[in-house]
Amino acid sequence: MTIRWGYSLDQWKPQFDDFVRRRDHERALKTVAVAGFAGIQVSSGTGRWEPTGNPAQIAANFGSVHGLSEVVRACALDGLAAFAVDLGAAYHEDLQGTADPRKAADHDTLLARAVWFADTMAGTGCRILAVRPAPSGAAGAADDDGIASMVAGWNAVGAATAERGVRTVIRFDFLTSLRLNDGWRRLTDAVDPAVVGIAINTGELAAAGTDPFAELSRLAARVEHVVLSNALCEDDSAEFTRPGAEFSVRRSGGQRRVPRWFGELEQPGLVDAEQVVRALVDLDYDGWVIVDTAPSPHPATSALLSGYHVQRVLDPLTRRTT
Amino acid sequence: MTSTGAATEPSERAVRWSYMDHWRSAGPAGPIDQWHDRESMSTFLKQIKAVGFDAIDTFDFRFWQILGDYGSVAAYQDFVQQHGLERIVNTFHAADYDLRRYAPHVPETHATILEDFRVTMDRWSGIQLDNIIVMPATLYYDMEPVTADKIKTTAELWNRVGEITLQWGVQLTCHHEFFCGIQSRSDLDLFYASTDPRYVNLFVDTAQHCIASVDPVDFYRAYADRVTGFHFKDTHHVDRSGDHRHRPDAEIMAPTTAKWFYEMGTDEGLVDFEAMMRAIRDQQYRGWITVEHDKANKLGGDYAESTAISRWYADNVLAGIYR
Repeated sequence: MTIRWGYSLDQWKPQFDDFVRRRDHERALKTVAVAGFAGIQVSSGTGRWEPTGNPAQIAANFGSVHGLSEVVRACALDGLAAFAVDLGAAYHEDLQGTADPRKAADHDTLLARAVWFADTMAGTGCRILAVRPAPSGAAGAADDDGIASMVAGWNAVGAATAERGVRTVIRFDFLTSLRLNDGWRRLTDAVDPAVVGIAINTGELAAAGTDPFAELSRLAARVEHVVLSNALCEDDSAEFTRPGAEFSVRRSGGQRRVPRWFGELEQPGLVDAEQVVRALVDLDYDGWVIVDTAPSPHPATSALLSGYHVQRVLDPLTRRTT
Repeated sequence: MTSTGAATEPSERAVRWSYMDHWRSAGPAGPIDQWHDRESMSTFLKQIKAVGFDAIDTFDFRFWQILGDYGSVAAYQDFVQQHGLERIVNTFHAADYDLRRYAPHVPETHATILEDFRVTMDRWSGIQLDNIIVMPATLYYDMEPVTADKIKTTAELWNRVGEITLQWGVQLTCHHEFFCGIQSRSDLDLFYASTDPRYVNLFVDTAQHCIASVDPVDFYRAYADRVTGFHFKDTHHVDRSGDHRHRPDAEIMAPTTAKWFYEMGTDEGLVDFEAMMRAIRDQQYRGWITVEHDKANKLGGDYAESTAISRWYADNVLAGIYR
């Protein structure tokens, strides 16, 4: 069992025109490193103000993903731990619009994008491609055909990235349409474990009213990537089904104007981080645990408080004597 | 991390790192500092510990807040230690200089100053400090013209103060702000020639000297045997137009420069910290280096980020030279 601690950079980019300059990246990376983390998780995006958002922008800004890795390592981190991607979003770079995993006609687009990322990641040591498996709640529930189509699509993606040494994992978020009609369980039950792993995001599950500890127990050895986050509030009024929930709910707090859906691990919230880590130890989990505090009004403080909590509370739990 | 605790043990290191406790963070109703309540202090201390500092420095004017919130200076230090930090290393005595009652170059005020230090040392006697740090002169405009006689009068005072602080086992050490009356190299040399090395020490603030056009590395090498500590902080500006004389304030209100101080590790920084560290290594200095970046929040800065960047620089650049 080896847990490697990483940190998500998402909190540094509240808006599309933030976190664009190299100086911003280096200061964030150094902050993460000196707080004791070894790696980072970056998220996908599109356009010239997303320097780490996709292979084309990485090439434009860093020469290649190896160039990005060098910048990361120069800041005293081991490297990229994972890419969290939404392959269904529109990308300027391929001139394709959105792609819906529930529609077989969109699978070629998803597959091409997955290969695009996996080809870039190959050889960097970053082997986790955490995909968003379904659109947000406004898209409505997936029927049986929709689930079957998603399963086929993600199995194909997983097989293609595996050929490039990259493991596809599907990830849950509290805005996903998979909250409807038991979609997340139906999908995770049906995908092929040989080619598709599972990413657990504790805070996103808790914000959706799902017990992350129970989910970790249910999925057990299929969990190949963990994002440890703490939800401060639950969406118990189906706000995830609102149009544009990524902005109106996640960023702006929804109708209740929730100040922060997610906080630091040490805050009183819906996730018992110590319980999660103990469970990972019991599962003999071997992989990254990415701490994520996005969105945060004070990213550096969130990173340092997270580092303190990992160093002093969580990491010692992984060293129990047998 | 895949493991923790792999760093060199403090006892094996020649240099240990303390943090001067300037801080602001976002409260629900605007900026707060860590002294507002125990929770704010805990949040501050966690961040200092997270990035690898060994200890903190503080200001002794916090005494009344300490009494109110923690009961005693020793109890406050206990609170610091509960967060994994070793102790409080130094305190800064930020005096309210006034030509009528508290001015080192005005002999009539010396009795008041001496009594102030007797009271202060007694208040802090519950813990063992290394240094009590002072700005040894008034604001520049209150001392000018700066004459040899004024400097010697000032030196006489601090000799007596240092004798008092040593009775509590604490070294008196002098920190020369760029806007204080003794800040040019020639005036610094006269001041140290006029003070007793047994009682008056030097605390090198890299940015303050740099702003005042004094090379901190050269200055340190000249007085290494009297140096009892450092503020490692940076600046992007040198005072070339007499800002140090600006009334009523030069530190925040200088017309040319809205922000004088920056954390170590910025591209625009003027202090050569690597040369400073080589000098410290060459002198075989053993002791504390304090990181400071006061007013880090000006112009949109963020204390937590500045603290992380400076500590990263110490860990990844300076430790390669001397640790």
